[in-house]
Amino acid sequence: MTSHGTEKLLEVLDLSVDYGYGTEATHAVRTVSFSLEHGEFVGLVGESGSGKSTLGFALTGLSKPPAHVTGGRVLLDGVDIASLDAGDLRHQRHGGIAMVLQSGMNALNPVRSIRNHFIDIFKAHGHVARDNWHARAEELVGKVELPKQVLDRFPGELSGGMRQRVSIALALSLEPKLMVFDEPTTALDVLVQHAVMNTIIELQKKERFTAVLISHDLGIVLESAQRVMVMHEGEIVEDGSASDILNNPKDDYTRMLLSHYADPRAEVVELPGFEDRSARTAAGKPRAAAATHAPTVSSRERRTDQKAMVVSNVSKVYPAPRRGESPVTAVDDVSFTLEPGEALALVGASGSGKSTIAKLITAVEKPSSGSIRFGDIDVASLRRSRFRQLHSDVQMVFQDPYAALNPLHTVEYTLTRPVVNFTGLHGQDARRRVLELLDTVGLSPVEEFAAKLPHQLSGGQRQRVVIARALASNPQMIIADEPVSMLDVSLRAGVLALLEDLREQWGVSLLYITHDLLSARVVTDNIMVLNKGRVVESGNTADVLRNPQDEYTVRLLDAIPNPGRKGAA
Amino acid sequence: MSTHTATNMKAVPPPIGEAPTPWKVFARVASTIWSNGKARIGIIILGTFILLALLAPLIAPYGASENGFPRSTDASPEHWLGTTAAGEDVLSQLLWGSQISIFVGLVAGLLSTVIAVLVGLSWGYVRGFGADVINFVVNLFLVIPGLPLMIVIAAYLSGGGIGMIIVVVVITGWAWGARVLRSQTQSLRSRDFVTAAVFSGERPFRIVFREILPNMTSLIVGNFFGAATAAILAEAGLEYLGLGDTTIVSWGTMLFWAQNSNALLTGQWALLFAPGLCIALLATSLTLINFGVDGISNPRLREGAKK
Repeated sequence: MTSHGTEKLLEVLDLSVDYGYGTEATHAVRTVSFSLEHGEFVGLVGESGSGKSTLGFALTGLSKPPAHVTGGRVLLDGVDIASLDAGDLRHQRHGGIAMVLQSGMNALNPVRSIRNHFIDIFKAHGHVARDNWHARAEELVGKVELPKQVLDRFPGELSGGMRQRVSIALALSLEPKLMVFDEPTTALDVLVQHAVMNTIIELQKKERFTAVLISHDLGIVLESAQRVMVMHEGEIVEDGSASDILNNPKDDYTRMLLSHYADPRAEVVELPGFEDRSARTAAGKPRAAAATHAPTVSSRERRTDQKAMVVSNVSKVYPAPRRGESPVTAVDDVSFTLEPGEALALVGASGSGKSTIAKLITAVEKPSSGSIRFGDIDVASLRRSRFRQLHSDVQMVFQDPYAALNPLHTVEYTLTRPVVNFTGLHGQDARRRVLELLDTVGLSPVEEFAAKLPHQLSGGQRQRVVIARALASNPQMIIADEPVSMLDVSLRAGVLALLEDLREQWGVSLLYITHDLLSARVVTDNIMVLNKGRVVESGNTADVLRNPQDEYTVRLLDAIPNPGRKGAA
Repeated sequence: MSTHTATNMKAVPPPIGEAPTPWKVFARVASTIWSNGKARIGIIILGTFILLALLAPLIAPYGASENGFPRSTDASPEHWLGTTAAGEDVLSQLLWGSQISIFVGLVAGLLSTVIAVLVGLSWGYVRGFGADVINFVVNLFLVIPGLPLMIVIAAYLSGGGIGMIIVVVVITGWAWGARVLRSQTQSLRSRDFVTAAVFSGERPFRIVFREILPNMTSLIVGNFFGAATAAILAEAGLEYLGLGDTTIVSWGTMLFWAQNSNALLTGQWALLFAPGLCIALLATSLTLINFGVDGISNPRLREGAKK
């Protein structure tokens, strides 16, 4: 794996990190030991709360209160990092450890040019001669595949991906032996993610620094790292080469993570709880119900008075953001029909206009031209006072379950409101309906969940409450805007399965907005690919993904990290 | 994608617990304020003043307007702070007067906060023409200099006593709070849970007061203490200028009469100094409490919190 022999760059011995003290302490990292050799590319993967970032911060000596190291040592070239004071620690940043953060692109000072960011570092460490400053800065941005003109730009003039590249170049400027990347691409758009990740991989090969890539996405890690450590509840449960982990996982947790990856282009796509969709439709059988709690249908029958959402030639133009710039066309001449009971995926990178379409068909925004009709309701010109009429049939599931619930209201209050507003039930009847909804989304014991506040629930549970709220009005159509993108991989399948079951058993139609083509493949019949507000491709989901016609669809497909690809290549 | 930062480490599902009762929430808030050193001093000072005001009938040595004593005497065992030019006991006046100052401060602070909440929240939530109209009115109140406006209104409503003072203070004091609350409402209204409430069929009124308002409680409480401070100072200022009812005994009228009788020239510093210090201390105590309230709305400002 490395030509430097067995010499260890970094040794971690029985490291433990806690948040808080005494009985309230959370043990984020529990007696972790491992070592890194020179020039290795190691992936550290785990779900949120597994302690991977805490470990990354402890490695770099950046642990901040309330996190604190309770035991063990981190040795860099034989020197214990914990024994260094702030001044020594700053010294070792040169030729030592550098870190690139998820929000690194927001860490640039907006009023200083990129060139000044580099010069600040050169000044502080004095490792580059003054005459050489500009040449060195140009060389560094060149390494991250940016033209040297960016040096004279200000952070606000660069895109997120470019800023993240700049922050990588800044980290590189101190010639680190070890680079820790903490979710370096998570905050970026799918297509940009892929490109930045490729740069990191190339850079590591050329510069031969040791790299630790921290990520929640096993796909990205397996694709880029040589060695992978899987972290679960503060412990490293598996540590092996990428190909071993992929082909021969030993730990149950690793196997569970791997089972949630599949290639959306494959002929047969199966995820835990989902049989292949085309096979299923052909056989006319519902989703394998074993995986999640099946919804109870007692409270409603399949709707008979079904209406279709008909969108024709809709455009939405936003006024120019600044004077002198041209207006922004978010949605450009889009037409589609969502039949009752149909599941349609709307996919595209960020800025492709998919969320704007969601706003247009829920009357939150008005289209600039074109018409939107839902049954006999003219959505395009619906007045605010008549929103209830539309929202009793069209409901929405939000992307971020942490933002979509009022932190001060109990689950019961949150669910009671739409029940009272739309069904006219009151008192005990309303309460019975609320408990029924909780049961439907698989949150039992229902009485206990009804009394909870959002902060007492996990992300997956919150998203189920959000779905329950969307169901309270007996809607005919649910718009799900990236419903699982904020959730851990292991929770995603459960939420998707719930949406699928509801659609099948209640006959609800689903507009599924996402950039995740794999989930689109398992829950939808048809797909529309959006690029810059235009529909570039549409058709049967399986057909489009297996046989993409448009170049943009191909690029989206290529950007999906696929653990199997490297092994197959 | 998932927001994954170091803070997420704490997002471990908490153990199943009871939803906190309002009483527990209050106890937690109170202990947060109390844990702030400055706020603790403020609470102690304010508590002392309120206690003295309530106990004035019991502990004041004489009545507030009892004027049968020797005039303009210095401090003595009978009159700890001396007597006024009209022959009243200064200590008794101070104790009785604290009732008026605290009452006006709390009532005017409360009323102007209520107006600020009503105007600020609806202003933040509505868009279009309505917002422009409110904007115009609020800006009008903001740009007119406070003291001259107060004097004009007070002169116009002359002879109204405490009620008039409260009205004047409220009219001139609500606009700034409304502006602050409006900005916070605007930032909260774009949150997903507000959009979700629209999807739940909620009426705008309910969205503003049941969804948005509870999320800015600490800001409103902070606004109340700020408004109460301003009210106490404004009340003292108006009465000092002789614009209130000069026959009632309050700290402001004490200053007015002390100035009228040239207390400083006669060497009776206590006549000016005692009520002045009390006004300053009371205003300071409210400001100090606000430091603790800041700690609730912004946990990063919590001082002395466990490291």
